[in-house]
Amino acid sequence: MPIISVDAARLDGLLAKDYTAEVLGDTLDRIGCDVEEVIELARYRCPNCAALVEGSLGSDTVKVCGVCGHAQDEGFEKVDTVTAIRIDLLAARPDLFDIGGLARALKGYLGEVRGLPEYPVGAPTLRVKVDAGVEDEASRWPHIRCAVVEMPPLDDALLATIMKMQENLHWGVGRDRKLASIGVYDMATLEGDITFRTLHPDDEPFEPLGMPGQTMSGRQILEEHPKGVAYAGILADHARYPVLIDAAGTVLSMPPIINSEPTKVKVGSTRLFVDVTGPSDAAVEASLAMMVTSMAELGGTITACTIVRPDGAEIVTPDLTPGRAEVELGKAKQWLGLPLDADSLTDCFERMRLDVRPLDAERTRFEVVYPAFRGDIRHPVDLLEDLAIGFGYENIEPALVPTMTVGKARPEEEVSGAARMVMFGLGFTEIMSLPMTTEADHFTKLRLPVPDDYVRVANPKLKALTVVRSHLMGGVMNALHHNRRRPMPVRLFELDNCVRLADEGDPTAQFGVAEERRLCFAEVGPEAGFAAVRSVLDALCFELGHEGVYAAVAHPSFVEGRVARFTAGPLEGYIGEVHPEALDAFGIDYPVGLVEIRVAPIDWEA
Amino acid sequence: MKQLTLTEEAAAVWRALAEGGAADVAALVEATGLDQSRVMVVAGAGGEAGHIAVEEQARDEVDPADGAAEMLERGLDERRAAQALHAAGGSLAMPQFIALTKAEGIAVSAVFRFGAARGWVKREKGSGGPPSVVLTDAGRAALGGEAPDEKAVRLALEGTRFLDEMDVDADAVRKLLGGRKELARLRSRTRRVLSLTDSGRAAWAAGPRVVVERNTLTQDDLRSGAWRDITLRPYDVTLPAARVYPAKPHPVRKIIEQTRRAFLELGFEEVGSPAVEVAFWNFDALFQPQDHPARDMQDTFYMSAPATGELPREEWVEGVKAAHEDGGETGSTGWGYRWSLERAQAMVLRTHCTSATIRALARKPEAPYKAFCVGWTHRNETLSYKHLPVFHQVDGIIIDEAASLATLLGTLKAFYQKMGFEKVRFKPAFYPYTEPSVDVMVYMPERGKWLEMGGSGIFRPEVTEPLGCKHPVLAWGLGIERLAMLRLGFSDIRDLYQGGLDVVEGVPVCR
Repeated sequence: MPIISVDAARLDGLLAKDYTAEVLGDTLDRIGCDVEEVIELARYRCPNCAALVEGSLGSDTVKVCGVCGHAQDEGFEKVDTVTAIRIDLLAARPDLFDIGGLARALKGYLGEVRGLPEYPVGAPTLRVKVDAGVEDEASRWPHIRCAVVEMPPLDDALLATIMKMQENLHWGVGRDRKLASIGVYDMATLEGDITFRTLHPDDEPFEPLGMPGQTMSGRQILEEHPKGVAYAGILADHARYPVLIDAAGTVLSMPPIINSEPTKVKVGSTRLFVDVTGPSDAAVEASLAMMVTSMAELGGTITACTIVRPDGAEIVTPDLTPGRAEVELGKAKQWLGLPLDADSLTDCFERMRLDVRPLDAERTRFEVVYPAFRGDIRHPVDLLEDLAIGFGYENIEPALVPTMTVGKARPEEEVSGAARMVMFGLGFTEIMSLPMTTEADHFTKLRLPVPDDYVRVANPKLKALTVVRSHLMGGVMNALHHNRRRPMPVRLFELDNCVRLADEGDPTAQFGVAEERRLCFAEVGPEAGFAAVRSVLDALCFELGHEGVYAAVAHPSFVEGRVARFTAGPLEGYIGEVHPEALDAFGIDYPVGLVEIRVAPIDWEA
Repeated sequence: MKQLTLTEEAAAVWRALAEGGAADVAALVEATGLDQSRVMVVAGAGGEAGHIAVEEQARDEVDPADGAAEMLERGLDERRAAQALHAAGGSLAMPQFIALTKAEGIAVSAVFRFGAARGWVKREKGSGGPPSVVLTDAGRAALGGEAPDEKAVRLALEGTRFLDEMDVDADAVRKLLGGRKELARLRSRTRRVLSLTDSGRAAWAAGPRVVVERNTLTQDDLRSGAWRDITLRPYDVTLPAARVYPAKPHPVRKIIEQTRRAFLELGFEEVGSPAVEVAFWNFDALFQPQDHPARDMQDTFYMSAPATGELPREEWVEGVKAAHEDGGETGSTGWGYRWSLERAQAMVLRTHCTSATIRALARKPEAPYKAFCVGWTHRNETLSYKHLPVFHQVDGIIIDEAASLATLLGTLKAFYQKMGFEKVRFKPAFYPYTEPSVDVMVYMPERGKWLEMGGSGIFRPEVTEPLGCKHPVLAWGLGIERLAMLRLGFSDIRDLYQGGLDVVEGVPVCR
């Protein structure tokens, strides 16, 4: 997940009183931010786009610009060092992605401001016309919402904040631009109304951001421009590409890929045009609400835009109408287990920047009003979380449920516990190995044919890790290899679950897979062999209340004539001396006696 | 007078001293056949009782150098020079002498240093010409003999190593051998001479009681009663012993067993679920939207065999679908998308044990009910020192009318205190299927910091209601390996599962 570094002094500057970086970090932690640490952080300037770039941890130089992608061998010029609060972003709370949103929450939590934040929206002056092409199945990128925000003239820090905000919302709300994509432009470079339409991939070239003086077609951008290459997948199936163009024919951007160079926001820009487009109207709406309200927290004034749909219908955006939900005091007290009353409930909600209004004279039911950007609220219980945070987790008195219940272990654990005790008593130490393995370790090295079908993983990052184990021999043999330099003999065992493709009608199987508790034990050393492990197996069977019946069989993993299949009550398996070719394959240079047992079938209730 | 009690060993030493008079340790070793250390033990005990006197004498040991035998065999440089001078008529001019020593391989420096010291050769000034080297009378006299140092080194080579045992002029040897390391060194040694004191002699004469001393008793000694006359030799009980290790459980297994016991003690039923699980139970039933990044191929292992699985009973599936799409009857807005049956049927390796607890909830939706599951969980990761594609989690639920955020915190605190963590702290978190959500942190005094252990919360109504549960449900998923790594002080998580016994042996059972 992305981590942001918030300049503590700047954050403090947005608040009425003075707080240290530690107090701010601690308060954010209590609000639910994942605060990693408070550090000193150097900042650098990109010589290409002049953006302010944060240094990375453990490095005293920056050579790549995160904004324009510019890279050079020589380090960038260092600008200053700030005390930064590093926060791991939580996808669920995009309203806490930037310094404006964080300041808004802190103001409430620290008691400077209470209740719902208000964002006046000025009447629309700009029209955005949507062409039917963006709704065409072959070139679909249908939704658009826009706003104009008047900011104080942008300085370095403010510019960097807006860029970072955009990038993080792309991740957190836009799912890496797949659902929604944001663009910000300098209004001073735009003329007249805006049109949202599609563009022929090879005609209508424009000057993409980061490549001044160079015009490229849409297709060229996808194939050659670094941002184009990175996001080309999203438009892979598009016949034509979405584009925003002003009345003078200047391209603003080709969402969700890139903005244009001539319309870019610079230090000193003050009127900004913000658009969000994409396939998910909910994500588009949320992104815009998040963007403009955070910018408002940073000193911006919002003006609406009129979106003219292809059918002529008009909508005015952004829509910052607050949401409303009903909360019952009794339900809240029960759900949270907190000593709340109408006053403390109101106080906790207001602290969380929510408005509260009693719905009845007894003040047992309340209407809670939440801002438009709180897209995380889908159910009244979501507001109870705000209530709990407003109360402060550190103020909660932990308690136990008073209800008496009786503990009960799984049946396979009872027999496993007994088997484990016997194995320790017989001098075998327990090992554990991973239940995912490779065909080589699970079959080939053990001289077992690789079956056509086994419980197989389709997409492992480690390509060979396709096998979910059906026996424990591979892990035990690897462990013997790992211990080959120790004084002999070495005795060890593993006891764990395995899976196999089930036979038709297997009563314990689910989805055609049967699971079972298995035990594998082995001895390696100059004296190791059938007789020694046979004694151990007999002892184990006796202690578990069974008697083994042995039958000579052939098994590719074992020496011919020194392998048996056995059953002992519910236990069944193989015992033998491991084949020298298998020893060689695992890099073991003493004989090995090994036993593999199914201890118990496992019946997970459906 | 109290009768003297001696071990067999001590009696042998006493007898040698009583019969042979004073003797040094070497002589007693020879006489009794005991080790020098045993003789000294006897001397020490006798000394403490005032029966044996130990007199220490400083003495010089001649320790010939590695090449000493060859040097003597060939003749020391100054002896050979003297012989050559004698053959040349007793005197040679310096240039001729130098030429001669060169031809014979004689070191001139040794000749002048040691030859002059012995008074065998001297330098005389030539009248006008070069100086000459002259054999002295003493040198001539020494020609056929053996100098004291030569004799001492020869004797030492033959086995008589102490100067005071040699019939030589000790002072001359000390002077001549001093500073000639290539021939031999003199080492200062202490000779201990033991003798019986008057009281010792009297005690011996009175007839001591001799007891048998052994290292072990045999079966016969014990059966026959002979053990009564046997003393077991005392040990230095403070010495270190050979290291052995018991067969014991794997450290992760120990934590799993401790975890199981903690929840069983708290009245939980242990439950489980298939490791190869259908996406419905792993994700959908937990209100994880189907386009959630956690469900990506990047993060989750999908199965090619079996690739799809059957969904459970219709009413659950319909309820879950409705919760996702528009909230259904849960009072939620839902996620607002079209829920796909196919995506819910995909088979995965379970990414958490919440699939086990949510199945338990569906089976037994009535309060009160407490269930937990410890098991392997899977994430599509490569292996590194920090991450494994497979690891353990413990998940738990409490269905109870008194279930609340406060009792969630109380339960987790009770659990971690059972696991040995005194201080437990909670902070807000955001998880898709709980509301509120809580991160659990424990304080590690060894590291002086708080560490995150896992996530928890109260199941959202979108999770519980479609499965027929109308009560509040507490839920959590906590990491096991993290606990193991912190407790055991490992830095590479892979070490846990490679099978090396040193990992198991190195961790005491109590940790």
